[in-house]
Amino acid sequence: MAKDMTLLWGSGSPPCWRVLIALEEKSLQGYNQKLFSLEKLEHKSKEVLDINPRGQLPTFKHGDNVINESYAACFYLESQFKSQGTKLIPDGPAEQALMYQRMFEGLTFYEKLNVVIYYTFNWFVPEGERHESALKRNKEALVTELRLWESYLQKLGSGSYLAGSSFTLADVVVFPTVGTLFRFGLSPERYPKLGEYYNLLKERPSVKASWPPHWLESPKGLDTLKDI
Amino acid sequence: MAKDMTLWWGSGSPPCWRVLIALEEKNLQGYNQKLLSFEKGEHKSKEVMDVNPRGQLPAFKFGDIVINESYGACFFLESKFKSQGTKLIPDCAGSDNNCALIALIMQRVFEGNTLHQKMVDVFMYNRRVPENERHESAFKRLKETLTTELQMWEGHLKKTPGGFLAGENFSMADVIVFPSVALLLRMGLSEDKYPKLAEYYKKLQGRPSVKATWPPTWKETPGQELLKDI
Repeated sequence: MAKDMTLLWGSGSPPCWRVLIALEEKSLQGYNQKLFSLEKLEHKSKEVLDINPRGQLPTFKHGDNVINESYAACFYLESQFKSQGTKLIPDGPAEQALMYQRMFEGLTFYEKLNVVIYYTFNWFVPEGERHESALKRNKEALVTELRLWESYLQKLGSGSYLAGSSFTLADVVVFPTVGTLFRFGLSPERYPKLGEYYNLLKERPSVKASWPPHWLESPKGLDTLKDI
Repeated sequence: MAKDMTLWWGSGSPPCWRVLIALEEKNLQGYNQKLLSFEKGEHKSKEVMDVNPRGQLPAFKFGDIVINESYGACFFLESKFKSQGTKLIPDCAGSDNNCALIALIMQRVFEGNTLHQKMVDVFMYNRRVPENERHESAFKRLKETLTTELQMWEGHLKKTPGGFLAGENFSMADVIVFPSVALLLRMGLSEDKYPKLAEYYKKLQGRPSVKATWPPTWKETPGQELLKDI
């Protein structure tokens, strides 16, 4: 099973991290994997392009099935391996609906984070096209977004996951974004509920097992988000 | 069932259209619905904000359940009404063919988000980017990116002789992606440059769920030419 799987991934990339967490949760350790350097543009190498014409990571193969979209891979794994590992999609309609709602809001959350933390990177916005006004607006949008997620967690109470009392696909796909927020210096004093959620999830075995290697090597992180 | 559902939507919005198609495909006609005007800012009205604090459409309620993400609503409807209407996502268990099909459906469903984003980046450029922040170079790049994306989808469609995005049968991939393709054509995408997309559009236009949910405002007014040179 796992031996028929191959994951091409990059360290610290939330989309890659989602799939890594899903594989752990579904007890699929033993899959083949190859770590690529995003900084060195290895995601555009022939090895990746041969499987994923978009030259993006994650790139995932299971036998002849190729899935190069992190959410798609997560749904596929839950569907294929429903009866093993953690049950990632709850049966109860209310909880399931909340899971779907948060999963897809998670895409917006991730986008709003990226347009702040990568704004000054040339591959994201070429220098001649950057504007202080745009970055300011992106930061304000991120703050609005963060406050929404604080309120979501507040409503569910301490120790809860994003869709309620159980860990679900919502956590699989959104936690990597939260992990990245704190890596880039988000203040847990200003966002205590997100801080609590981060502390809860970072101890989970699947999360620990898939923690970005380069974050382990240099634990300090950045302070891009410390003032937002 | 359907009577306990309410959908707030806007005409021609692909996210809204996805949910409308899903409701038809799952035989859930009879839901309550309210058509709102984006132009008049009705998506920011109190009525919508009460259901969706983001002030966006679609907003969807089913009893006490609220789902304001089109993908979320579509997935939920398929899950809860699995045994009625069209099967939009096959079951995996025990069938290699079905697992391969699920992989392809999911791949196209989520690539659909990329397609939609790239399309919106182009036709909403002037509305989203303040005048002093606009650059010819940026707009040109967004158009090139959209062109590359569309060529990829032409390639996808060449590989699925069945005519639907995941092969011979209509699936969740079509629910999600068709509305974006329809909007592209509505905005003037060239049928000569993108023959497979045009063929797909014409094929799906005839489907009952699509006919039943065709944007009312599109019936009244002609399309635009914004994308004719892409």
